Amino acid sequence: MIAPSANAALIEAKDLVRTYEVRQGMFGKATPVRAVDGINLTVMPGETLGVVGESGSGKSTLGRMLLGIDSPQEGETFFDGKPMPKLGTPEWRALRARMQLVYQDPLAALDRRLTVAEQIGEPLAIHKLVPKEHRAIRVAELMVSVGLRPDQADRYPHELSGGQRQRVVIARALASRPKLLVCDEPVSALDVSIQAQVVNMLRDLQEKNGIAMVFISHDLKVVRNMADRVAVMYLGRIVEEASSDVIFAAPLHPYTKALVSSVPVPGKPLKGRTILQGEPPNPANRPSGCAFHPRCPLATDICRTSVPHLRQVADGRTAACHLLAGADQPVAA
Amino acid sequence: MLRFASIRLLRAMITILAVLTFAFVVLRMSGDPAQVMLGPDVPQESVDAFRKAWGLDQPLWIQYLAYIKAIFTGDFGVSMRDKASAMQLVIDRIPATLQLTIPALFLKVVIGIPAGVYAALHRQSAVDRGVILAAIFGFTIPSFVMGLLLVLIFSITLGLLPSGGQDTWQHGILPTLTMSIGGIGILARFSRSAMIEVMGQPYIRTASAKGMAWQDVVWRHALPNAAVPIVTIVGFMVGSLIAGAVVVETIFSWPGIGRLLVVSVTNRDLAVVQCILLMIAATMVVSNLIVDLLYGWLDPRLRAHSAH
Amino acid sequence: MISDNLVELHGLTVAFDGVKVLHGIDLTVRRGEAIGLVGESGCGKSVTWLAALGLLPGKATVAGSVRVDGQEILGGPRTVLESVRGKRIAMIFQDPSSSLNPVICIGRQITEALVIHRALTGKAAKAEALRLMDMVGIPDARRRFDLFPHEFSGGQCQRLMIAMALAGEPDLLVADEPTTALDATIQAQILDLLIELRKETGMATIFISHDLGAVSQVCERACVMYAGRIVEQGTIAALFDNPRHPYTRGLFDAIPRLDGPRERLIPIPGTVPHPRDLPEGCAFSPRCSHAAADCRSGRPNLSAMDDGRLLSCFHPVGHPAGLMQAAESRIQEAVS
Repeated sequence: MIAPSANAALIEAKDLVRTYEVRQGMFGKATPVRAVDGINLTVMPGETLGVVGESGSGKSTLGRMLLGIDSPQEGETFFDGKPMPKLGTPEWRALRARMQLVYQDPLAALDRRLTVAEQIGEPLAIHKLVPKEHRAIRVAELMVSVGLRPDQADRYPHELSGGQRQRVVIARALASRPKLLVCDEPVSALDVSIQAQVVNMLRDLQEKNGIAMVFISHDLKVVRNMADRVAVMYLGRIVEEASSDVIFAAPLHPYTKALVSSVPVPGKPLKGRTILQGEPPNPANRPSGCAFHPRCPLATDICRTSVPHLRQVADGRTAACHLLAGADQPVAA
Repeated sequence: MLRFASIRLLRAMITILAVLTFAFVVLRMSGDPAQVMLGPDVPQESVDAFRKAWGLDQPLWIQYLAYIKAIFTGDFGVSMRDKASAMQLVIDRIPATLQLTIPALFLKVVIGIPAGVYAALHRQSAVDRGVILAAIFGFTIPSFVMGLLLVLIFSITLGLLPSGGQDTWQHGILPTLTMSIGGIGILARFSRSAMIEVMGQPYIRTASAKGMAWQDVVWRHALPNAAVPIVTIVGFMVGSLIAGAVVVETIFSWPGIGRLLVVSVTNRDLAVVQCILLMIAATMVVSNLIVDLLYGWLDPRLRAHSAH
Repeated sequence: MISDNLVELHGLTVAFDGVKVLHGIDLTVRRGEAIGLVGESGCGKSVTWLAALGLLPGKATVAGSVRVDGQEILGGPRTVLESVRGKRIAMIFQDPSSSLNPVICIGRQITEALVIHRALTGKAAKAEALRLMDMVGIPDARRRFDLFPHEFSGGQCQRLMIAMALAGEPDLLVADEPTTALDATIQAQILDLLIELRKETGMATIFISHDLGAVSQVCERACVMYAGRIVEQGTIAALFDNPRHPYTRGLFDAIPRLDGPRERLIPIPGTVPHPRDLPEGCAFSPRCSHAAADCRSGRPNLSAMDDGRLLSCFHPVGHPAGLMQAAESRIQEAVS
């Protein structure tokens, strides 16, 4: 039971699978790689779901599928109870205003020839949301809400700092009053002092506007501060999901434990922490059984042969690990 | 590897076929060979007879099919003017053209690349400014202007070198120079920008931080990386070895392929023009193929490695 | 007699096209010690060491003094710098994948350094390179000796960079954000490797990072840099338990916590000023909640405090008293 009332979910993903063809070298044969391999999740209105994992875990692909800008080969996404329309259709385009993406590199997300005000005003014009004469006022409102000064309206992206650029991107994403914001590493490129400014701003905006958020990041500390609930991904699958308060305080899955343990805590020595050995996994080369078993300090025979399913292990917590005792019913069929 | 090679070969054939088709259609749309060959005042019967003899009275697509069929059997047609094998006419002219284009290519490479690399390593220096200026010069001055300029200076004013013909090696100097100056500029400019790009890469800093002597950093770490874009341009120049001399050969009355092309186009000597175009397309395609293989050798990231 | 001081920077300044970005850095690195350099991007952490090793692009003007074992290396002939790089001071960088030459096989990139610094060639060089690859934890080194950088993961590339840096048996390793581009689990591996290697080889380490947690694990001492100057310098314990400069304090407070209740983060307002338009007085004053009138007119000097730290602030935060007491009051502060 992931969602107590599934019909109220803002976004719901059912058994999402995304496969890429990967060619090894110039002459190699193309082999299918499952970047996302059977993901189920729900996000309630106004809720923030954190998604963490290493590079290659498929977390960005998942984010793009939730937005419908990448379509799954298998499974389905429901937004507001309705199936995601097909990519590029008019219905799909209409839905863009209600869900927005913020990603890591704000400079790449912005058009360097447009001023701040023009960038933020763009979605208002595209979706015909605000009549032209009121647009300037709305843009100024948006700028203030993300902590930009209205006198910066005529600046160009290259005249702004990294933190300010990310604020512009967020203001633009908020212009159409979306219900869902997918943030893919939105603060990873920022210094910690600026990171804190942007995280606080995102939290304030969310509280004020009741936006649901999928917050994708490799930085556990930031996710812990943003998310209500956290899903940990490994090789395209969710291996543990729980509220952010419990998952970092008492991780259950060995991988989550290792992730938590790898976060350097000021003043705390490295000694005595579990340092995960081995490389981040390669989706083109998925190990048998539990994909984590080659790096898992606790792996047993069953881990090498049988794939563990995500199942309920405690109240409101799911995990996919053979070594965790719990209810026997798999949560995801 | 085999699959790669066969795909490339197929692509090369399609390219050549496209060139041939294009040439075939354009040549036949742009004037009547019978009129040109026989002159404006011949009686209609002679024109009809000429057309019949060369198959020009057939519908275009039949002519085309016949032409393609002939090519695949190694028959490249007969010159309407000399009644000799068109291919033989063309092959006879190749050495003369190569006498100009190979020395010109040599000059482009041995002057252009070092000048560009030196300029990149000494930015803002006098040499750098000189190279930029020379490159713009070489780029913008068309070869017929350059050729006439050289003739004016060295033949007419100074009287040092002959201005036309193919009698002695001195005759080759001005046409070779005319052909190489622009290429030197182009190659210098490309080498310079490729080298500047590479010198700014983190791995160059790593090599320096390792304690390598500066010359070694340049020779062993920077140049192999800058080679990829430079090879692209040189490959293009090699591709135009056969065709690169049309204007220059005409200016200096050099009896090479370029001049043959001009004459044959003027005369609507269809078979000869088609043969030359086939030759040009073939050298381009072959040099492209060689460049592709060189890429793999120069940059391991582009190399095949099926075992991984 | 060999002095205890390995590298001494004195009044090191750097200007790009006439704009000063480093305003006189004084720093002494003793044999075998590990010093962290922290601060936001654009504060001059990396520039300090790139300048010291002459690795900045030509448009940079570097002045001041850099002495290695008492020998001045700045402003001398290029060969002096080249004999220091890799041999006395080695450096590794933030983005390991692009810091390795893509067209040269890994084995050769490592043996090159052995040829330069230890006159090893042929089989001996290869054997030593393999030993180094082993040492930094590259599995199956013999088979992977002839592979190219793109055939290794980011974490492995950083290990290879470290192997290359170790080739000259340097006295000092400067690690410039060595883990920033890597996944968290790999970051921990690399940090662990750096700590272990330092233990084994006894080389001093400069650890440049914006991650205070990582710095505290690797180093004994740290310098906090702001706008091209060191604003606070002291032992890790002193800085972490009782930061005195409001900027140091701000950096700590901005770190989100993994434990405890979810609270609003405490950012430092504003951004690092551009070197072209530094504010009057203390460069941090526009962002500082403790700034008074004197901060905006005069610039505080970096001077020694009673507890041995160096501090450049007119109105320090925290407590001038002993460490234990200070730590306690900091906890009190955090609770209230």
